[in-house]
This record gives sequence, C-alpha cells and structure tokens, in this order.
Amino acid sequence: MDYTVKKVWSPLLRLYHWTFAISIGTLVVTGLYIHDPWTNSTLFGTGKFTMALFREIHFSAGFALMAAFIARVYLLIFGNKEERILSFAPVTPANIRNFFSTIGYYLYFGKKEHRPGHNAFAGTFYLLTLFFALGQILSGLYLMYPENLSIQGMGLALFGTQQEARFIHHLIMWYFMLFALVHVYIVIWNDIMDPEGLVSSIFTGRKFFEKKAGPSA
Amino acid sequence: MSRTLWDPEVSRRSFLKGCAICCAALGLSDDIIPKMAEAATSKKRPPVVWLHFQECTGCTETLLRASHPDVARLILDIISVDYHETLLAAAGEQAEEILRSTVAENSGKFVCVVEGAIPTKDNGIYCKIGGRTALEILNEVAPKAAAVIAIGTCASFGGIQAAKPNPTGAKGVRDILNTTPVVNCPGCPPNPIAFLGTVLHFLTFKRLPPTDRLGRPLFAYGRKIHDHCERRPHFDEGRFAEQFGDCGHKNGYCLYKLGCKGPETYSNCPAVRFNDVGVWPVYVGHGCVGCTEPNFWDTMTPFYERLPNVSIPGGNGINNSAESFGKKALGITGAAVAIHALAGIGKKLAQKKGETGDE
Ligand code: HEM
Ligand code: HEM
Ligand code: SF4
Repeated sequence: MDYTVKKVWSPLLRLYHWTFAISIGTLVVTGLYIHDPWTNSTLFGTGKFTMALFREIHFSAGFALMAAFIARVYLLIFGNKEERILSFAPVTPANIRNFFSTIGYYLYFGKKEHRPGHNAFAGTFYLLTLFFALGQILSGLYLMYPENLSIQGMGLALFGTQQEARFIHHLIMWYFMLFALVHVYIVIWNDIMDPEGLVSSIFTGRKFFEKKAGPSA
Repeated sequence: MSRTLWDPEVSRRSFLKGCAICCAALGLSDDIIPKMAEAATSKKRPPVVWLHFQECTGCTETLLRASHPDVARLILDIISVDYHETLLAAAGEQAEEILRSTVAENSGKFVCVVEGAIPTKDNGIYCKIGGRTALEILNEVAPKAAAVIAIGTCASFGGIQAAKPNPTGAKGVRDILNTTPVVNCPGCPPNPIAFLGTVLHFLTFKRLPPTDRLGRPLFAYGRKIHDHCERRPHFDEGRFAEQFGDCGHKNGYCLYKLGCKGPETYSNCPAVRFNDVGVWPVYVGHGCVGCTEPNFWDTMTPFYERLPNVSIPGGNGINNSAESFGKKALGITGAAVAIHALAGIGKKLAQKKGETGDE
C-alpha cells in the first residue's frame, strides 16, 4: 500500500501536548497528596518538608500548565490549518457531521472519515479540557494568592469562598483523570483500527495517509 | 450608659491598655493611641445603636465575657451604647422610645451595630420586636446611620438561619442595605478585638477601615488562619493527627486530616486569640470550622472532613465524599473502556469467522 506523509502538528503544539500531559499527571499526584497526605511522620529536625515540597511541585507544575494553556490558545488562533479552532470545533456543518459520524465510528458503526487534524468529536473534548484547565488555573490562583484583593474578587465571582473553590478544584481533578484514561485508550484504539501513525504523530508531527483514500479535508 | 474617663470602673491605665491592644491589632503605630483615646472619650463621639435580630446573643456574650476587663468595658462603657436590647435597663415602650429618640437626635451621626440575620421571606414576619419586623426596623434605622457594623456571621452573611434550606429567607445586612457603608465582622462568635478595632478606627479616623471583597476589615480578616497557625510547621513537615486522642494529636501535630478549615478561612484568631487567655480552637486541639466564611454551615460541613460531600442529583439525598464519588466515576469509566475494547475484539473475531465461512 502506498502512503503519503503529511506534517500536521507544529513543534509548539507537540511541546504544548507533552507539557500539558506531564504537568497534569504531576498535578493530579501532588493534588491527591495535598488533599489527603498519605505519608505521616513523627520525625523532627530532619528537614524533610514533605507537604511543603509536594505543594511546591504542585505550584511549579501549575505554572507549566499555565504556559501550555497560553501556547494552545495562541495556536487556536494563529496555528497551522489543523491547529486552528475552526478545524475541529463542532460549529461548521462539516464538523458537526464529522462529530456524529465519529461517534458512530467509535461505536463500531460506519466508516472513518479521513481528516488530517483532529476529528470533531475528539476536538470537542480537547476544547472542553482546555476550558477545565482554565478552571483549574483560576481556582488554583485563587487558592494560591488568597491575600490579593483583585484575585479575591475574581475567585468570589467565579467560585465562591476559598472552600467552595477548593471543592471545585478537587472535582475538576477527576475530570482530568477520566479524560486521561479515555484519551489514551481512544488514541491507541485509533492507531490499531486505522494505521495512520496517530500515536507517533504527537511526537513527530507527521501522519500517514493511504494514497487512494487520502485525507478528505 | 455612657460614662466618662474617671468612672471608677475603668481606670485611665486600663483604658489606655485597651486602646493599645486595638491599635496593635489595627497595625497602627503607637503614636495613634492618644488620638484614639481622645476620640473614644470625646463628648462629640457618635452614639451606638445596637440592633438584635435572628441571633443567639453569643456575639454580645463574647464581648461581655472578655476576661480582660479593659476591652469589654471599653466597648460597653466608653463608647456610648445608647440602645442595646440585652444591656438596656429600660424595657417595653421606654426602650422603644430610647431607640426612636437616639435615631432622631443623631440622624446621620450614630453607628448602627447589627447582630443577627434578617428574615426576608413572607415580608420578614419570622422576627419581630415590639410588633415590627426586623426588616422594617433595619430599613428605618440603618439608612440614618453614619456607618453600619454587622457583628457576627449571622448579621454578615446570614449564618445558621441562612443554612440550607433557609426556611425564613434569612440574609446578612449587606444583602439588604445598599446605601449605608457596612463593615462585616463575621465569626461565630467574632473576636471582640475585630469589632472594637473597627469601632475605634471609625471614631479616630471618621471612616471605616479598609476591607476585603466580602466587607471584612483587612486588619482582622486579611489573612488565612493557616498562614498564622502555630501548628503550621507540622503541616509543612508532614506531621498530622489522624484521630482525636492519638499520639499525633497528643503531640500537637497539625489537624488538617481531622478536617481543619484553617487553609480556607480568613481570620486573625491565631494572632489575637480569644478572651485574652491566649487560646483559640486549634490551640486546644480542635480544627478550625471556618466560622468567618459565608455559608460555612453548608460549605464547611462535615466539620471533620476536608471537603463537603457531593450530593448526587436526583439521588434522593445520597451524599458521597468527593473522593469516593471520583473513584466511582473512574471505575465506571474504566469498565466502559473495557467493554468498548471487548466489543471491538468480539467484532474482529466475528468478522474473521464470517470471512473463513465465505471461503
Ligand atoms: C502517554 C499518553 C498520551 C499519548 C500517547 C497521547 C497522544 C495524543 C495524540 C496522538 C493526540 C492527537 C490526537 C488527535 O489527533 O486527535 C493527542 C492530543 C491531545 N492530548 Fe494526548 N496523549 C497522551 C496523554 C495525554 C494526557 C495525560 C493529557 C491531558 C490530561 C492529554 C491531552 C491531550 C490534548 C488536550 C490533546 C489535544 C491537542 C490539541 O489541543 O490539539 N494527552 N494526544
Ligand atoms: C489539572 C490541573 C490541576 C489539578 C488536577 C489539581 C489538583 C489539586 C488538588 C486535588 C488539590 C487538593 C484540593 C483538596 O482536596 O484539598 C489542589 C490544591 C491546590 N492547587 Fe491544584 N490542581 C491543578 C492545577 C492547579 C494550578 C494551575 C494551580 C495554580 C498555580 C493550582 C494550585 C493549587 C493550590 C494553591 C492548592 C491548595 C494547596 C494548599 O492550600 O495547600 N492547582 N490541586
Ligand atoms: S491545624 Fe489547621 S490551620 Fe493549623 S496548620 Fe494545620 S491545617 Fe493549618
């Protein structure tokens, strides 16, 4: 079978993806520790600041997440064709059609519609994930800078008191855990069902398309 | 009720001591103490009208129980509380008359202190004094005041009356008044110093102290409990009490895992402490319950858990901790993923069978 190679993901998008994925992994682990510190110590004077260390890692990873978020928002507008928001947001007729045909494909009905970028179903969840990332960033900043009055105003308007913000911050964590589980599964599933090199595309930026099928977009 | 400096009950020395305590709490230099003393004893100082609505009188009680007599007397004797239902000698029609005349004579000048929430449902019939509803009294008295100070969480944010399902539609003062400046001194009960500091700031500088976005004076509510707590080193170093009475608890470790809400609560309790005997809840081994925060009866409960429970919509009051809720969601999703994968494998196998059958 003949394949063509197409460059779809720019280096910035790939850098964003892995910063995003690794920082979220770190944030979930350290966040769970902050929620319920599973270590407990009776040692004094050892200089082991366990909780302080977990919090510091959490905050550093939080800033990495912020950087990744900003990079992705930039690419939504100024990225290449596949990276821009209209390429996968379910707002154009073609994308809405693709949204439903992808659900069918994932349920083992119907055929895959070949596109170079994200399908619209995945794209919708990627946008939702970015939205929740913004929620984590804003609630995280509110928890982190409790004495800044502008941030307090933002936090009170969006989340409520510190306790409510913390609760929301905690619940959104579970969204990320669910997303990561399903996302990694679906990506691998796609790679098995249709050999376009999807998994490696997020490292190399390249996807492969059968010559006769070709990308439809 | 107003007395002078030379009243035998308050010596000049103890009076100045009270002023100095408040000065320190406000973060002011001690140059201010004489000015404050002068303002608090000036003949022209504004009278105070104290309104009680839906409350337990606990806020007044803490002021009276302040073991340090200087602070309590400073509040009750030096600043002229002209109308205070708990402390008033007069009763009935006489008391009502004092309220009327104080408000009329000092319109635009007096300080109005509100203790307790205001029910608003059914025109506020759930709290009446002298035949008038709390809502009527507040709407009549407060707009004529120079400033309103809400003392306690009930007057500030509604408190326990406003906890779900809030049967009487109870609200805090700031949710009702939008004309007169309102300062909130929440707490259940609030620290007397937070209240007195606010009053003395107003008397000395003729304006209310700067506040945060919830109307709480920054000098008392500008920081989180957690950031001033004496158990904080245990938190940072990862030493926690796991249960009340265990060895960690006996050793004074951090109460985070017992549901302490210090990390979400703004107040100066660890710095000022209570009743001048140097104690506050976390000091005596009980986690903070977050009593200075709006809706704390709803959001800070269960008091011995870190986070509120997730109520499952339509689940008939089924409550679940965020942790087990998340674990269940993750389990269901994992199962869905497994079923999806198995369905794919099943389909492949069925196709293979079909293909071999065709041949
Ligand atoms: C080892 C694990 C992972 C692999 C192999 C992987 C792989 C991929 C691939 C191949 C894509 C492109 C899919 C497409 O074209 O539709 C993608 C996109 C994406 N992944 Fe992952 N991923 C991993 C982990 C994660 C994690 C942990 C997160 C975050 C929780 C994440 C978030 C995303 C997002 C948000 C996108 C969309 C990128 C965009 O905005 O354009 N990934 N991933
Ligand atoms: C996907 C992203 C994130 C996840 C999954 C996450 C998860 C968590 C969790 C589970 C907690 C503990 C809450 C509790 O149960 O008590 C927490 C606390 C916290 N997070 Fe995040 N977080 C994320 C992003 C961020 C970001 C971007 C920031 C901001 C820089 C941030 C700042 C904080 C702060 C300040 C706390 C409170 C720590 C403390 O007071 O000790 N988080 N996070
Ligand atoms: S006892 Fe409470 S306020 Fe003190 S350090 Fe621990 S969590 Fe923070």
